Amino acid sequence: MSLTRRQLLGVGAAVAGAATLGGWALWSGRGQSPLLLSARNDDAGQHYAVGYFLDGRRAFATPVAERCHDVCRHPFLPLALFVGRRPSRESYLVDLRDGTLVQTLHSQSQRHFYGHAVFHRSGQWLYATENDTGEPGRGVVGRYRLDSQRLQLIHDGEVSSHGVGPHQLAWLPDGESLVIGNGGIRTEGGSREEMNLDAMAPSLVVMDRHGERISKETLPQSQNSIRHLAVAADGTVITGQQYHGAPWDSVPLLAIKRPGEAYQPFPVATSQLAMMKQYTASIAIHNEKRLVAMTAPRGNRFFIWDLDSAATLVDAAMPDCAGVGAVPGGFAVTSGQGKCRYFDCTGGAVQSHWLTLPDGWWDNHLWLG
Amino acid sequence: MQRLIVLITTLMLAACSNPRQEVTVQLANQVLLPAHQQWQSRNAALLDSTRAWCSGDQPLASLEQAFHQTQSAWSRLQPLMVGPLSEGNRSWQVQFWPDKRNMVARQTEDLLNEFADLTQLQLEGASVVVQGLTAFEYVLFDEQAALSDNRGRYCPLLTGIARHQLALSNEVLALWQQPDGMLETLTSFPNGRYANADEALGGILRVQVTGVDTLKKKLGTPMGRLNSGVPQPYQAEAWRSRHSTENLLAALEGAQAVWERVRSLVGDAKLVGDIDAAYKSVRDKLAALPAPLMNMVQDKANQPQLQSLYADLDALENLQQTDLARHLGIQIGFNANDGD
Repeated sequence: MSLTRRQLLGVGAAVAGAATLGGWALWSGRGQSPLLLSARNDDAGQHYAVGYFLDGRRAFATPVAERCHDVCRHPFLPLALFVGRRPSRESYLVDLRDGTLVQTLHSQSQRHFYGHAVFHRSGQWLYATENDTGEPGRGVVGRYRLDSQRLQLIHDGEVSSHGVGPHQLAWLPDGESLVIGNGGIRTEGGSREEMNLDAMAPSLVVMDRHGERISKETLPQSQNSIRHLAVAADGTVITGQQYHGAPWDSVPLLAIKRPGEAYQPFPVATSQLAMMKQYTASIAIHNEKRLVAMTAPRGNRFFIWDLDSAATLVDAAMPDCAGVGAVPGGFAVTSGQGKCRYFDCTGGAVQSHWLTLPDGWWDNHLWLG
Repeated sequence: MQRLIVLITTLMLAACSNPRQEVTVQLANQVLLPAHQQWQSRNAALLDSTRAWCSGDQPLASLEQAFHQTQSAWSRLQPLMVGPLSEGNRSWQVQFWPDKRNMVARQTEDLLNEFADLTQLQLEGASVVVQGLTAFEYVLFDEQAALSDNRGRYCPLLTGIARHQLALSNEVLALWQQPDGMLETLTSFPNGRYANADEALGGILRVQVTGVDTLKKKLGTPMGRLNSGVPQPYQAEAWRSRHSTENLLAALEGAQAVWERVRSLVGDAKLVGDIDAAYKSVRDKLAALPAPLMNMVQDKANQPQLQSLYADLDALENLQQTDLARHLGIQIGFNANDGD
């Protein structure tokens, strides 16, 4: 198969970027303990973009002005964007080799970040969910081009997210289609206050990266905000919800869209739903083992289910469990308040042990690899 | 030689002893579990009293007294409900507050209109709004219910609620006392929930600080602090039984019971003095309120007294949430309180 002009440009950009970064053409931490990237605070309230190896060694801790939420890795350069948490107007591009802050990315006028972004597989483009504060809640996906000479992200346009209050987005396996959780909540610039709890409109949208809508689906409860998601290698999408209705209502806080099927509740036991306090945070899928893991920090509960049978493998108490990510043997989970944990899924029953990462102050998402 | 052995033994004991673990174990055994047991026994007494009144063997005043004692045990428990009671939506089954739209009265009457002779199964299948002490209080004290004239209508519900509360407290107590239960989780480390005593102590303090924050809300809401200063007397907790202040005092007592044990871990004498003084000031000011809270908030002349109480409660919360937490190196909240 011959390379297209666009792919050629992508390769060229990668080489140029590698040159700028000092000859690291294809950076990776091979042979090392997995690297965990996350937003974190210290007890004085200072915000950081941090990298820790899973064995507890610190790679870097870069102070940043605003609290971040999720982290998106460049597909092959040692770069990651630590994405500003709603309603931040800043995100931070960091050199993962030493934590150098390469760029403070400012949102456009009348836009703020929602805490999530993804790099395109070419490494040239980044897509971030944003709020149009001129028309509060109108979701847009900002498109940024990576200037590989200067290693700067440059705003290059935007498209509609086809919904209100977009939150997490991810690539489907084709690498060209995005799935987006539109939370359905309207907030103004500079505020986290919800303006439309009685008229929310959450949706799960699939669109191509140029903005053309492929599908838009909803769940029955309008107050069930679709926020976080993960995509399996076969294209199965799992979403996590945050419900803004009565605290005692039993609603699907986890939902699934299998390839070719309708978006529908994932069959979680009612007793498990009751433990989540209507709030889910981070979701990770283990592709080889076909497992899905999810944190519920308000309920102080961590879960692992079989992605296909929905059987429960783990239903564990864990204070303020925050980000979760998959590694070959299982899942690593951070905590906002306590010790981070590793759940080893290599044997019959899942074994858990504590990690030597610093305790507490981890934000709700992580990148692990 | 003997002196050396004594010295080595002393050093070994010092190395083994962990004051935080000792305090955590004390809190679990001497404060948290007894508070749950007290709540359970009050529920048992409430069921006895309800049955006795419904069969005409007891005056209404006795039932009211049993209700107050149950409400008080529940209030005291709120800053102490680490574990099972705070999980699985159980606490909503005990009390429905705030009731912004008078749902308790409406849903209680709707339920009884639908099921003239309410069964336990029907109650268990109904909303949490009608399963708890707030619905019980409505029936017992609201003029609309006129209980004495409508014993036949309301007794199945009262008995059903009391039975539901007892079953709930029995379930929670079992979850505390069973092998690998909450008591063991707070006294033997590491375990499936906590890596060490520090994490467990942090968990207890977080619940206690949340309890103090809830106290503030229960005072501030009827004062109108969430309503541009316009008083909302019917948003007071337990306004129907005129027992808001008693409940607040009981909750404060529960919170203070935690502090009494934690105090020994604090090396800063000024901080200890400040927190002691803050508890005393809030307690004294609460006890000095001359009338039920729902009446107090409706008279502007009482505003300075209530504002002063609120300010003291706020100071107490800050002392614990910020100064005490920092001193102990315990983190009170992050994503669980402020996620995204």
